[in-house]
Amino acid sequence: MSKAFLMKGFQSLRGNPMDVTACEINELMTIKSIETIDPEMRDFLFSLGCFEGRTITLISILGSTYIVNISDARYSIDAQLAQAIKV
Amino acid sequence: MRIALAGNPNSGKTTLFNAITGSIESVGNWPGVTVARKEGEVKRNLYKKNEAIRIIDLPGTYSMSPFTLEERITRDFVRNESPDVIINIIDANNLSRSLVYTTQLLELGVPVVVALNKWDTVKQKQTDINTETLSKQLNCPVIPISAIQNQGLRILIETCYQIKGKKQIAPYRCMIVENVEHVAESDKKRFEFVSAIVTEAEKRKVTSDKQTIHDTIDRIVANRYLGMPIFAIILYAVFSISQSTIGPWIADYMVAGIDSLYVFAESAMSEAVSPLLKTLLLDGIIGGVGAIVGFLPLIMVLFFMLALLEDSGYMARVAVVMDPIMKKVGLSGRSIIPMVISTGCAIPGIMSTRTIKNERERRTTAMLTSFMPCGAKLPVIALFAGVFFQEAAWVGTLMYFLGILVIIFGAYVIRKINNDTSKKSFFIMELPEYRWPSVKRAFTSMINQGKAFVTKAVTIILISNVVVQIMQTFTWQFQLVEEGLEATSILANISSPIAFAMIPLGFGIWQLTAAAVTGFIAKENVVGTLAVVFGITNFINTEELILVSGSIEVAGIFGLTSVAALAYLVFNLFTPPCFAAIGAMNAELESKKWLIGSIAFQLGMGYVLAYLIYQIGTFATTGQLGSGAFAGLFTVLVLIGIVLLIITKNSVETTLKVQ
Ligand SMILES: Nc1nc2c(ncn2[C@@H]2O[C@H](COP(=O)(O)OP(=O)(O)OP(=O)(O)O)[C@@H](O)[C@H]2O)c(=O)[nH]1
Ligand SMILES: [Mg+2]
Repeated sequence: MSKAFLMKGFQSLRGNPMDVTACEINELMTIKSIETIDPEMRDFLFSLGCFEGRTITLISILGSTYIVNISDARYSIDAQLAQAIKV
Repeated sequence: MRIALAGNPNSGKTTLFNAITGSIESVGNWPGVTVARKEGEVKRNLYKKNEAIRIIDLPGTYSMSPFTLEERITRDFVRNESPDVIINIIDANNLSRSLVYTTQLLELGVPVVVALNKWDTVKQKQTDINTETLSKQLNCPVIPISAIQNQGLRILIETCYQIKGKKQIAPYRCMIVENVEHVAESDKKRFEFVSAIVTEAEKRKVTSDKQTIHDTIDRIVANRYLGMPIFAIILYAVFSISQSTIGPWIADYMVAGIDSLYVFAESAMSEAVSPLLKTLLLDGIIGGVGAIVGFLPLIMVLFFMLALLEDSGYMARVAVVMDPIMKKVGLSGRSIIPMVISTGCAIPGIMSTRTIKNERERRTTAMLTSFMPCGAKLPVIALFAGVFFQEAAWVGTLMYFLGILVIIFGAYVIRKINNDTSKKSFFIMELPEYRWPSVKRAFTSMINQGKAFVTKAVTIILISNVVVQIMQTFTWQFQLVEEGLEATSILANISSPIAFAMIPLGFGIWQLTAAAVTGFIAKENVVGTLAVVFGITNFINTEELILVSGSIEVAGIFGLTSVAALAYLVFNLFTPPCFAAIGAMNAELESKKWLIGSIAFQLGMGYVLAYLIYQIGTFATTGQLGSGAFAGLFTVLVLIGIVLLIITKNSVETTLKVQ
């Protein structure tokens, strides 16, 4: 059992949404919320179609960089962003 | 008729613009290449009407939502300049995101035609897109095109004519505009609306969330540990091909040509031609300009290789690899794109910092990006690598990495000076798919850059060389400088005091100083001036040099050790780039304080680096310090002291403010 899987179970037990850093690779996830105090980040993500109700897939983890698929496009996002996207 | 090109970043707007106007604006396989609008005229063979069509290429934007303030260029353009038609370019591989912007454009009240670009790749991927359904649902014409293969362009222009002046009814309207909350709500519905259209019109063979070969390559080239070494190897390969193998091989032929031109011109001028005019023409013009043009093949091969890399999609990954390092000094991966562009020319590089939103990050990048060796610096690198280091490819590679290191260090210092401890900014970048780079496109890009290089050589550089030649030929009394009394020339007189300050750096010779100073006008001048002051035309082939200049090897003429030569090279590369780049910096920094700070910082950086290389290198090779070690140390310490002083002063001020 992978760490991500345990984490997911743990977090869902506590009722907390988890973020993209804890996602399983290749698993289609629905975004629950974008948690950030930076309105610029929220707006930018919005314009890419990354907001609550839409889907996101984690494709790979490269060190502190996460490659994700959002509305048919690949993006590289940093850990800070990945943590803001709750699924 | 006026047509505006609007669409998401990297959708191919500039490629289309170039294809229908015949322009040569720069294209790159990453988002954010175009930063200012460009205008052009549509080629006559694309339409029959007897009317000029102007077309405007706009920077790419993901959306037009009223709350993304920075991305309003398109909106403002459409509002203020009312084009007759908007061509909305869409990457057909990404309908679900692109069409959202389309629905926004359709609300503006200007007729829109959708160009489904990259149709060639859609066919390859066996995705099935029903353009009729799209057209019906969006209520506007939808034309599949391939900007890269010149397909569908005629129909596109034809359609523009047909819809000009027609009314289109937007399929989706945002009703409430006053309240930001409601707009957000409405835009969410907009995405749903688009998803429904896409589901109906598009049948994908493979859904986009499946792992592909591109993801596998990413895991290797953008790997946490392998990323940097791979980048280093690629740069080294690019250099060894352009500087040590193919480049010099072609250059040899070309230089032979320039030499025969020199000999021909010399013999063609009769005895009647005044010796003054003769040297001006031969040494000043043919010699100086020829010395630079001789490096053209090396530079073109390098540009060719860089264009291949850009086209492949690799450069976007370099930004990903560098992001964690850049974050440590308060920048992000976004600063890499200006640096990549600066390897061609610093001016567009500095301009491209506009896409960076955070002000300090933007200014820091604009101020530092010109430390990357640009095309004009290459002849200088190639000259010194060739003469002092047997054309070693490591010299060029080292200069690029030194450039990156200096930028990282510079960003660190600037952050300290600004005493900015604010949160790190976030980094997100769309990753284009990899593809086989096109030799044809790289060739075109190489020819364009080569042309620009030659144009510059026969204008600014030619004039500079003539001026240098005149200043070297006359004394202040406008008497010809006598043989053996070269130090009495105007040039020598002006340069000598500055040369004095260069002694601790290992090159306190007025000729070298003069070359470095003319380099501030344009970097190619360094080579041109060296050619003029030392009377050498052929820098490429040092064996032939003996024949041409009738003297010992160039290294001997310069009177430099290898270490001093490296110091001189570094000084030229890491001091302010050129007037034009400083102008661009002035425009982007929008602050006199930052501009003056930048120039001072660059001068100091070049000086300190050259000092360290010369003194440490000399000590390592000979066991003794170089000349002027202590005077230089004093200067270096003063420079460092000033920076430390500013840092402490600013941090105390902030602490006081907080209290
Ligand atoms: N396969 C394919 N690639 C294309 C086509 N048109 C453009 N491209 C590629 O798409 C990439 C982006 O092209 P650009 O013209 O720079 O895109 P842009 O929309 O101007 O981008 P920004 O200026 O960054 O907004 C380049 O690598 C082009 O070679 C096409 O018809 N087919
Ligand atoms: Mg463009």
